[in-house]
Amino acid sequence: MKTQGMTPAEVEAALARAGLEIPEREKPEIVGAAHFIEEMAVRLRRKRAMTAEPAHIFPPPGA
Amino acid sequence: MVPDFLTIAEAGALIAKRELSPVELTQSRLTRIERLDRQLHSFIRVLGEKALAAARSAEAEIIAGRSRGPLHGIPIGLKDIYETKGVPTTGHSKVMIDHVPREDATSVRRLSEAGAIVVGKLATHEFAFGGPSFDLPWPPARNPWDTNRFTGGSSSGTGAAVAAGLVLGGTGSDTGGSIRGPAAYCGLAGLKPSYGRISRAGILPLAFSLDHAGPMAWTAEDCAIMLQAMAGHDPADPASADRPVPDYRAALSGEAKGLRIGLIRHFFETDNPANEPTRQGIADAVKVFEDLGCSVRELRLSPLADWAACGIMMMLCEAYAIHEATLRERFADYGEAFRDRMSLAALISGSDYVQAMRLRRELVAELARAMSDLDLVITAAAPSEAPTFDAVSKFAIFERPSLTMPFNVTGSPAMSVCCGYTEAGLPLAFQLVGKPFDEPTVLKAAHAYEHATSWRAIRPRAPLP
Repeated sequence: MKTQGMTPAEVEAALARAGLEIPEREKPEIVGAAHFIEEMAVRLRRKRAMTAEPAHIFPPPGA
Repeated sequence: MVPDFLTIAEAGALIAKRELSPVELTQSRLTRIERLDRQLHSFIRVLGEKALAAARSAEAEIIAGRSRGPLHGIPIGLKDIYETKGVPTTGHSKVMIDHVPREDATSVRRLSEAGAIVVGKLATHEFAFGGPSFDLPWPPARNPWDTNRFTGGSSSGTGAAVAAGLVLGGTGSDTGGSIRGPAAYCGLAGLKPSYGRISRAGILPLAFSLDHAGPMAWTAEDCAIMLQAMAGHDPADPASADRPVPDYRAALSGEAKGLRIGLIRHFFETDNPANEPTRQGIADAVKVFEDLGCSVRELRLSPLADWAACGIMMMLCEAYAIHEATLRERFADYGEAFRDRMSLAALISGSDYVQAMRLRRELVAELARAMSDLDLVITAAAPSEAPTFDAVSKFAIFERPSLTMPFNVTGSPAMSVCCGYTEAGLPLAFQLVGKPFDEPTVLKAAHAYEHATSWRAIRPRAPLP
């Protein structure tokens, strides 16, 4: 599956931006797993009508 | 002498006839825990004195003619994300090792009101997500069918404890398969009810919109008994459904004639290919249902990877929102499996989360359409028997699309049902899925299947003397 292909530096930058102090030993594994997220994101992004609603829309109290 | 293995229904009937004492039954489980749990690690906290006191109280009530029903005097265990008043509830994590709740979770209170005896708190993957892990305050639970093997997760301790006969039933939670996975690997019946059927109040959350509480026991009938106690509206849970609770046990006639079942074969043949024993087990189960008078036809849905992507992306985002601040402050206090998996959530955009929610609406509608002329669907609960611990990688949940996550996305009732054993004696399972709030039909079909086959007569032996 095609992905946007974040580079290891981009993944590390995103993790640092999130404020996570990840041990050096664990960084390569997390970077290596980033493609799973990119592949799943591709499956979510589809051509949809502008009005296609998400599932978490809720009626206001009293409706 | 109390038998090593009893179902809740069997023990409840004996207690009702005063042929079995709740105190003796509870003491026998405590003795069994003492003897076996050093190998299984299913409990992280045993509440011996408290359980015996509750058993004595139950016995006195029953002798006085005030029976509360089939759970009265039955020893159970609670996954350690269910809050218990005055008893630590840790999520199997250093992060909450000192957390002592002031109240019971609603479902715990209801089980206690039904007379269940809480014997202890059970192992889980860290916060129902990170595991199996060997770097947490307690070791991971081990599978009673082979202690070198994984129990499945995240309700790992419940799977092990019930399979080993340390308790007669237990609670699990299921955000992407955490009841059905351990039930499949440990040979149990495990029911994830409809979203909203059992209150989530007082249960440590993993992902709000996907979390389900539910029972794990040896049989469908036992799950029905536990569900009866746990189900019902709770204003403390904003997702709780305000609808009547049917008599679940009344649905268990032993018959399944006329039920219309859809077989989602592509989920376990091409999308996440199951091994041959699992495929054969499901094929044999389909034949059993046909012999029971059910009609079975094939059903094709969106690729399993779409369902899994939808659920996992929502789960990561919601869980990350819960743990974000603590991850920043105490990253090293989490186990490596939890923290490294959860770190991936930092790569997901807000737009991705909303797209997952849009896909969820589409997939919910898709399953509803597909089941418009069906009562149930059947598919695999797991792609194989329980793997060894060293075969479970840190990122395993991302490597192959989950067979159970689709029904967290839809909120449908879904149950893992044992359908035989490998040549090495390890349990196999299939998954039965019903329409929202139609737990009675799921339980009815599972119960009929169990009675048409002999699998429920087989209990784990090794390492049990």
